[in-house]
Amino acid sequence: MEPNEIQAAMAVAVEEVLETMCFASVLASAEGAAPPEADDGSPAITTALHFEGSPSGEFRLGVPVKLARVVGAGFLGREETDVSDSQAEEVVCELANMICGTVLSRLESKATFQITHPEVTQFEPGAGFDGDSTCRWFDLGDGILTVSLGLQQAV
Amino acid sequence: MELHVLIVDDSPAMRSFIRRVLELSGLEVGRCLEASNGEEALRLLEDNWVDAVLTDINMPRMDGEELLRRMSAHAVLRLIPVLVVSTDRTEGRIQKMLTLGARGYVTKPFAPETLRGELEHSLGVVHGTE
Repeated sequence: MEPNEIQAAMAVAVEEVLETMCFASVLASAEGAAPPEADDGSPAITTALHFEGSPSGEFRLGVPVKLARVVGAGFLGREETDVSDSQAEEVVCELANMICGTVLSRLESKATFQITHPEVTQFEPGAGFDGDSTCRWFDLGDGILTVSLGLQQAV
Repeated sequence: MELHVLIVDDSPAMRSFIRRVLELSGLEVGRCLEASNGEEALRLLEDNWVDAVLTDINMPRMDGEELLRRMSAHAVLRLIPVLVVSTDRTEGRIQKMLTLGARGYVTKPFAPETLRGELEHSLGVVHGTE
């Protein structure tokens, strides 16, 4: 599984999930963690889930709180101000679940995966993976979303 | 005719999304019950008749596969069309759920019209054969 395949799958999956479920569009996207100039120190909701299959690994999603409220509002059909902290976390977890499932099915359409429930946790995107990892960031205008995929074994 | 449904998903956000999609889809949605796992769903179905069940697969306590298995083995509950709504797109999983008795399968993410279309298809199947 080549890194460029994973990058392409990430790009398609994030755009598909955000447009279909949150009515949000990606303005720009590139490989790697978020560009340093984008880090304004604002808090983010970070979630991780594990998947087992061929291959096995970990998927992570990081969304600034402000952006989480924007996509949460789109997902839930509410105003941003009506999206609570817990609802924003639930939406970010659900996005992680859908993005990871879409990425894996694009990479290995015939394989079967067991995906754990996403959990809110603390991490630096791309850091701390045991094996190979791939990161990509997405600028939605209201903030930058980052996804990371770490694989324990190659196919 | 009002459509009474049961949405089974451990994510409150996803239950809310599905409910909203159903309400905006043009379907006349009546009672919209929610459960966070298969056990809760079966308890609700003891006292409430619904026209369709929309269920996730990966849930704690009792997953969607076991819920489907128990509904299919029940003399009355087996008559309720079940639509699976899951992130799992693998062919093996889809075939397994359909074999267990699901009337339709929608993968997340999904467009509102896809959910409506699959739900109508599922209801059409039951109306045409029961």
